[in-house]
Amino acid sequence: MSLKAFHILFIALSVLLSIVLSALALYQFTLGGSGLNLVWAVTGIGSAIGLIVYGVRFLRKLRDVSFL
Amino acid sequence: MSERTKKGSGGEGTGAESAPVHHDDHHHEASFWRTYVFSTDHKVIGIQYGVTALLFLLFGFTLMMLMRWQLAYPGQAFPLQWLADLLGPDRMPDGIMLPEFYNQLGAMHGTIMVFLGVVPLAVGAFGNYVMPLQIGAPDMAFPKLNMASYWVYFAGGVTMLVSFFVPGGAANSGWTSYAPLSVIATTGQTVWLLGMVLLITSSLLGSVNFIVTIIQLRAEGLTFMRLPFFVWAQFVTSFLLLLAFPPLEAAGVLQLMDRLAGTSFFLPSGLVVSGVPLDVAGGGSPLLWQHLFWFLAHPEVYVLILPAMGIVAEVIANNTRKPLWGYKSIVYATVFLGFMSFIVWAHHMFLTGMGTTISTFFQTTTMIISVPSIVILTALLLSLWGGSIRFNTPMLFALSFLPMFGIGGLTGLPLGLAPPDIHLHDTYYVIGHFHYVVAPGTLMALFAGVYYWYPKVTGRTMNESLGKIHFWGSFIFLNGVFMPMFIQGLAGVSRRLYDGGQIYAHAQEVLYLNEVMSVSSWLLGLAQIPFIINFFMSVRKGKKAEANHWQATTLDWSATTSPPLAHGNFETVPHVHRGPYEYSVPGAKRDFLPQDQRAEA
Amino acid sequence: MEIPYTATARPDTGLYNGKLGIWLFLASEVMLFGALFSSYILLRVGAPVWPHGSELLNVPLATINTVVLISSSVTMVMSWASLMMKDFSKYRMYMGFTILLSFVFLVIKYFEYTSKFSHDIFPSTSTFYAIYFTMTGLHGLHVIGGIVVNAYLWGPGNKMWKSDPQRFTNRVEIAGLYWHFVDLVWIFLFPVLYLL
Ligand code: HEM
Ligand SMILES: [Cu+2]
Repeated sequence: MSLKAFHILFIALSVLLSIVLSALALYQFTLGGSGLNLVWAVTGIGSAIGLIVYGVRFLRKLRDVSFL
Repeated sequence: MSERTKKGSGGEGTGAESAPVHHDDHHHEASFWRTYVFSTDHKVIGIQYGVTALLFLLFGFTLMMLMRWQLAYPGQAFPLQWLADLLGPDRMPDGIMLPEFYNQLGAMHGTIMVFLGVVPLAVGAFGNYVMPLQIGAPDMAFPKLNMASYWVYFAGGVTMLVSFFVPGGAANSGWTSYAPLSVIATTGQTVWLLGMVLLITSSLLGSVNFIVTIIQLRAEGLTFMRLPFFVWAQFVTSFLLLLAFPPLEAAGVLQLMDRLAGTSFFLPSGLVVSGVPLDVAGGGSPLLWQHLFWFLAHPEVYVLILPAMGIVAEVIANNTRKPLWGYKSIVYATVFLGFMSFIVWAHHMFLTGMGTTISTFFQTTTMIISVPSIVILTALLLSLWGGSIRFNTPMLFALSFLPMFGIGGLTGLPLGLAPPDIHLHDTYYVIGHFHYVVAPGTLMALFAGVYYWYPKVTGRTMNESLGKIHFWGSFIFLNGVFMPMFIQGLAGVSRRLYDGGQIYAHAQEVLYLNEVMSVSSWLLGLAQIPFIINFFMSVRKGKKAEANHWQATTLDWSATTSPPLAHGNFETVPHVHRGPYEYSVPGAKRDFLPQDQRAEA
Repeated sequence: MEIPYTATARPDTGLYNGKLGIWLFLASEVMLFGALFSSYILLRVGAPVWPHGSELLNVPLATINTVVLISSSVTMVMSWASLMMKDFSKYRMYMGFTILLSFVFLVIKYFEYTSKFSHDIFPSTSTFYAIYFTMTGLHGLHVIGGIVVNAYLWGPGNKMWKSDPQRFTNRVEIAGLYWHFVDLVWIFLFPVLYLL
């Protein structure tokens, strides 16, 4: 597995982490947490989307590099 | 050894026969340090590993011979006055061994034999020297890592030796270092842990190197199913080392934290030591240590045995002049064994109260893992069938491996089932079991390897008569040491007893065996003298060996000189045309077809 | 005789030696951290009470550190990609950023640690803190190791770009694989220690 493949895996896991984070914050908000929780939740979703966009662009840029 | 370098540097200096292959920057005279001490050549490193490991084996054996005095004659003054004086009043006041010293000897005997003796000899020495030759590689894939691996191992060894001189002496909680005892033990344990971290690092470097070398540097035509079984054994062994050692490293770090930073990973709440509650946070788990330790140490036992099987396979095929019986089954069995060895570890822990469900799981896996071992053993045994066997010294050692490993393996089966293990656990039966696999088993195979590859390494053969004396002495006295252990163990005598069981009523019937075993162990020591003489004498005085001294088929013998060229091993890169054991092929001119030989016209 | 496949891939395996080597090394690292995570689970399951990480540890700082490490992975991969596009000065820049970000991570970690020490909290305080300090400490050591390697490749080691560009690119890839692994460990450590 080349660095390219590992990087994609890494970004995918980071996306997962962001989503988990925002879900956790959202959960705390529904339990009656402060508005800060909501901010965290939105930030998490935002960074997840940002990472996905980055990942796609990264793949495009390194189109010619092997995954192996 | 001087001979092999003379040849090597001769070839290099004149460049006559090797000019086409290395015309690069090797021509300047390498300094003494780079050639012999900090060499990156796998052959030199292999020799370094071999000599160091043999010395450690001798040292670990000496510790055991000391212990055997105390076991046979508990509380009596040691007869060698000068040795008792040398060890001093902290260890042997008036020549009588202190219990604390006895415990140090026990712990360090196990540690040294396993981690500094057998594994470095089996993997570091034989693996390093022979494997690249057998696959037709010019060297290991990462020569500098290879050198680092040896020197880190060396540092680990020195650390272990130094631990004898710290206050309170060396580690004394057994080679298993069970917590919480080991956490509250004297400073020697800390040094032991540091030493282990070094040894683990060394074997990690080594195993990465081995695997990459085998996968990447095989000669053209040498497919996996054409690899000599020795290479397969090293391959699987390296995976075990690579993946099983890190958990022990983690465990070592946790224990170091417990000892140095005051954490309680392995200390339960409310621990009372000598009537005083221990001043720690508590909340840890002593069983955690056992799990982490055995997660390494069970695969480790296969690290001890697989290279031995590899050596035996080579020697047997060569001296029966027949192909190995069931080469493919042996290979598949070995790979399967490697996988299985990761999920049997808790059969060492049946008595920890882990419950019947978990016990059942580990009993089952243990019974399953004994199948591939038996497949390998059976295949080796059947390989003898119908051969016209050459009974030279290496072959004698290799042959003796078969029944000895058989005894060791079969006595493991009752231990792998919880009900009998309740009776047998922590008795001398267990000691008998695993010593049969590692001493009369692995050690005999390693001796076979020494006699078999000595001509390759030095260009000279070892003396056959001395070799046979060595063989028979070792064979008889090894059994003299270990067979009685089964009897004592079945009678219920526990292991790790300072007085050999004297104070126990149930041990009285079998106490006389202690003397039998001790005397055998000392005679075993004497039986090694012919070997030591032979080993050193033959470097200069041995008969000159031919390149392919045993008329073998594998590349280490057929494609290179004895000793091989100093740089790059081969004059021309070998091509492989056939399987590893084409002996006595019908219709062939000779009774062996080397792997690098093209089809005969 | 030269050792084959130090720079180019062996046809039938598709790998050059170093790449296989680093993956094997990472496999052993997985076992190392796997054992520590397992120990964490075993200790936690066996404990009568276990604190919530978020109540004892500084989550905002750790979140910042997470962002820092993810960014450093991005710059790391960029430095490698720059070499593939034969742009050496960009390589220097991205690698420099990677090293800088790793230092930022360590500095933040340093503040986290010292604020704990100043409140008389040490590894010996409780099993939770014991595992927290041990795992993050070991991870920190890995970060330091990565800095050493990357700094070498950024500075004195970059001479190889002139003599053997293919091999130098491989080296950067290997360092990148290692660095990604170190960051990945943090991606697991962060939620496990700070949030659960
Ligand atoms: C072939 C099948 C084998 C089986 C079923 C087996 C089973 C066992 C079991 C269940 C124990 C634990 C006994 C107890 O503590 O109560 C044990 C101990 C041990 N075995 Fe084996 N074993 C086998 C092969 C081997 C081999 C090949 C080796 C080494 C080369 C080995 C080395 C050891 C060692 C070193 C111990 C004792 C560790 C200690 O407590 O200090 N065994 N074996
Ligand atoms: Cu076992």
